[in-house]
Amino acid sequence: MDKKTVTTISYLSRLKIDDEKEEKIIEDLDNIIKFVDQLNIIDTSDVAPLTNPLEKTAKTRKDIVTAKNLKKDLLEVAPSSNDDYFLVPRVVE
Amino acid sequence: MTIKYKSVKEFKEMISQKEISNKEIIQEVFNLIDDNKGLNAFITLNEENSIKKAEYFDNNPSELSLAGIPIAQKDLFCTKGLRTTCASNILNNFVPPYTATVIENLENAGCISVGKTNMDEFAMGSSNETSFFGNVHNPWGENLVPGGSSGGAAAAVAAGIVPAASGTDTGGSIRQPASLCGITGIKPTYGRISRWGMIAFASSLDQAGPMARTAEDCAILLNEMCSHDEKDTTSLDETVPNFQENLNKPLKGKKIGIVKDLDLSNLDNDVVEVFENSLKEFQSLGADLVDISLPNLALSVPTYYVVAPAECSSNLSRFDGVKFGRRSEHTKDLEELYVNTRSEGFGDEVKRRILIGSYVLSAGYYDAYYKKAQQVRRLIKNDFENAFSNVDVIMTPTTRGPAFEIGSKGNDPIQMYLEDLFTISANLAGLPALSLPNGFIDNKPIGLQIIGNFLDESSILNFAHMYQSETNWHMHTPEGIK
Repeated sequence: MDKKTVTTISYLSRLKIDDEKEEKIIEDLDNIIKFVDQLNIIDTSDVAPLTNPLEKTAKTRKDIVTAKNLKKDLLEVAPSSNDDYFLVPRVVE
Repeated sequence: MTIKYKSVKEFKEMISQKEISNKEIIQEVFNLIDDNKGLNAFITLNEENSIKKAEYFDNNPSELSLAGIPIAQKDLFCTKGLRTTCASNILNNFVPPYTATVIENLENAGCISVGKTNMDEFAMGSSNETSFFGNVHNPWGENLVPGGSSGGAAAAVAAGIVPAASGTDTGGSIRQPASLCGITGIKPTYGRISRWGMIAFASSLDQAGPMARTAEDCAILLNEMCSHDEKDTTSLDETVPNFQENLNKPLKGKKIGIVKDLDLSNLDNDVVEVFENSLKEFQSLGADLVDISLPNLALSVPTYYVVAPAECSSNLSRFDGVKFGRRSEHTKDLEELYVNTRSEGFGDEVKRRILIGSYVLSAGYYDAYYKKAQQVRRLIKNDFENAFSNVDVIMTPTTRGPAFEIGSKGNDPIQMYLEDLFTISANLAGLPALSLPNGFIDNKPIGLQIIGNFLDESSILNFAHMYQSETNWHMHTPEGIK
């Protein structure tokens, strides 16, 4: 874990790291990655990954629209909206 | 008539015998909340609506199983019209337009949601120190952490403010604070309770559950909380048994698995002694101890700290300042809106986990970390399957020790992560697990963990209830609570 890697993953995460905290964050992440490296002591070459403890196929339902139109309720809790849309700073000049 | 430290069962009797009105109960709850503000257990209160609902029940007595019972809801469950923050600055102003299914289930059973409890931010923490709204104090000692992440819930129940609370458990967030605050809490089998409306941290691990004074109360609540929900495709379409039915079943001949791979030698002697005394109690109730092996258990914490951050980084990408929550005021373009909103809105621990998640999921590292952890996760699950072919439940201490001082583990995230050493494996395997108080160390409570087989919450609750019928650890109350 070095400064370059942390810059890349903070970009991927859309997070800005304050200069004064950078050193500590690099150190913490490095320690965490070293800690999880313990997993390499075990051979898992023939083991299928487990993504979910249930391992059941999700139950399907009939293809009937049940959702209500919540546009007004949802736009109301947005930080910025007009009658129809979420508003964000201009994207296309 | 005081309601302090009464169980759900006692509340039901008091209400049905008309010893106290529903409104008096709710008024007393809010007095207790006010008297114990210093605990910082609540983020948002729901006083007006609670009194209205209590008045309704006074005028229309109800047979519903939780009619009039005051319950504190973790601030991670969406509640329509009632602010829901997940203890994060980024949701500081969020008032959800809908209610989580599990809260709806509890409220349809008559419970009164008196307020939203404090917690670690986005449930990421084991001490409640990561909350944007400040630390919760453990009722057993002002300078002690209540555990986490359901720390406010545990503190509110331990202080006798409410008889029960909802919690969630991703790696121990119900059981660890239950242990540190001297109450009982159960995380049911993954999928028993709908996650719809629960703000997601790690979707393959998150599960809601009840926290209360007794196993019997947990059973009463669990009966109402479990349901299949079309809105959550991982919620189980299985019959929900009556969890109260088997509480008193004799334990004679039942088998308790003791994990021989678990190295207890680096725990305090006191912790080991408390644990062994509990096992003797179960033996005197007729149960037998059987050595079992969970050879990959030691890898559960590193497995968790790949899987949980990976899922967290994905789930928390929705917090971008566009559709809900708080938006940064310093945004000259869309990219800056995302970055500044997230950087100002999330606390340090949440950021740390998002970064780890982005790292283990990024190209070049995916197989080495994420896939590897999922493979080890299967081995851990297989270990449990083997063990449960021969035992009814598995017991371990819930935590490595009693509550620690606020700030004492502050600078080293790994020390904090190891706090969940005994609890994490049940989440990885999707198994139900409970913590109940089984002793004290230096006047601080500590808990016993009972892990059950898939869908077998009834056995855990049976063991826990029989233990609580013979012991009184769950009846102790802290001094200094007003």
